[in-house]
Amino acid sequence: MAGYGGYGGGDGGGFMSGSQQGGSQAGGSKYADESLRPVTIKQLLDWEETFPGAELAIDGHPVTQVTIVGQVRSVKPQPTNITYRIDDGTGIIDVKKWVDSEAQGGEDGGSGAGAIAPDAFVRVWGRLKTLGGKKHVSANFIRQIEDFNEVNYHLLEATYVHLFFTKGAPGSGGATKQEGGGGDNMFVDQGYGAGGGDVAMGGAGPGGGNSAMQARLATCSRNAQIMCNFINNSPGGTEGVNLLVIAQGTRMSVRDITNAADELLGQGIIYTTQDDETWAILDY
Amino acid sequence: MDNKSSTPRITCAYLSQYVGKLVTVVGKVVQLRGEEATIDADGTIHAFLNREAHLSANNGVQLIGKVNPDLSIKVLSSVDLGQGVDYNLANAVVEVTHRYKPLFVYEN
Repeated sequence: MAGYGGYGGGDGGGFMSGSQQGGSQAGGSKYADESLRPVTIKQLLDWEETFPGAELAIDGHPVTQVTIVGQVRSVKPQPTNITYRIDDGTGIIDVKKWVDSEAQGGEDGGSGAGAIAPDAFVRVWGRLKTLGGKKHVSANFIRQIEDFNEVNYHLLEATYVHLFFTKGAPGSGGATKQEGGGGDNMFVDQGYGAGGGDVAMGGAGPGGGNSAMQARLATCSRNAQIMCNFINNSPGGTEGVNLLVIAQGTRMSVRDITNAADELLGQGIIYTTQDDETWAILDY
Repeated sequence: MDNKSSTPRITCAYLSQYVGKLVTVVGKVVQLRGEEATIDADGTIHAFLNREAHLSANNGVQLIGKVNPDLSIKVLSSVDLGQGVDYNLANAVVEVTHRYKPLFVYEN
């Protein structure tokens, strides 16, 4: 709903209503192509407009609407809009929330524009616009954040989506189940298939690697076993699997993964490939 | 433009890499002594607060400030985050910030 509702208030009010009948297909935006991307402000600022009116694309994929989360640095009410300067630690951008003076009192409580003060954390939904070479976000919706964890969540989500578009879905191309669908799915059938879902019995099963490795794996902690299974089932090949992908797939914390990696490295079960946080199974 | 400036999120371990630069730290207030605070951000950080800071011990805090040569922080802005801050999450974001710098940090 958020995607379509935005048309009403977005660009100066009322303008888009005519084109919704599909008459002006030349407008270019079919509803099927609408997307909402979580991004960092730096990603928006870094986008180069190759020619005026060029379509926004990040990581090679077109983007229509964006969502950012940041802190309000200043609030400037103007005749037709309220301009907020938003800082998310990666960059600063102006966000313009259009105000319909007639609807002042009746605005759906969600936007609460009047109640946003400097230093508050907010989430913004809107579109990136350029005016005279300067970028800003035209906001359909802006909301104060209640739980600070949402700020961190957003940054991780933006990174995840970036990786999704640049490297592909986690565990894709294999028999493992889809992204984010809970770490448990990954271990039910593949590799240690003999008994079904129980990963802890690392000793049995025809999974990757030789029996000596299985024996060593069985002596490791549960976290280490989970991580090893995940790497085994991922299509990393000799390139290895990165810490972030493991975090997504197994839901383990960064610290747990790092500790598990140390264990596995010590046992000679995995080795680092591209950098200190990418590992592959040592198979010989 | 002044918009292209970042205040990367860091934890204790990264202080030495950002001496003289503006950074963001999310951590727990361990101790408060007048305008000095001890913060736990995956390690202990010493912070020198400004007058507007209203922090509470044991609460989470987001500090933005400059790293001094002695690895303490001169705080320019602070926000009390209350309880319920997931520090594992915050630390994960720090790791991700440094792993995928192009998304987060302007190097200048």
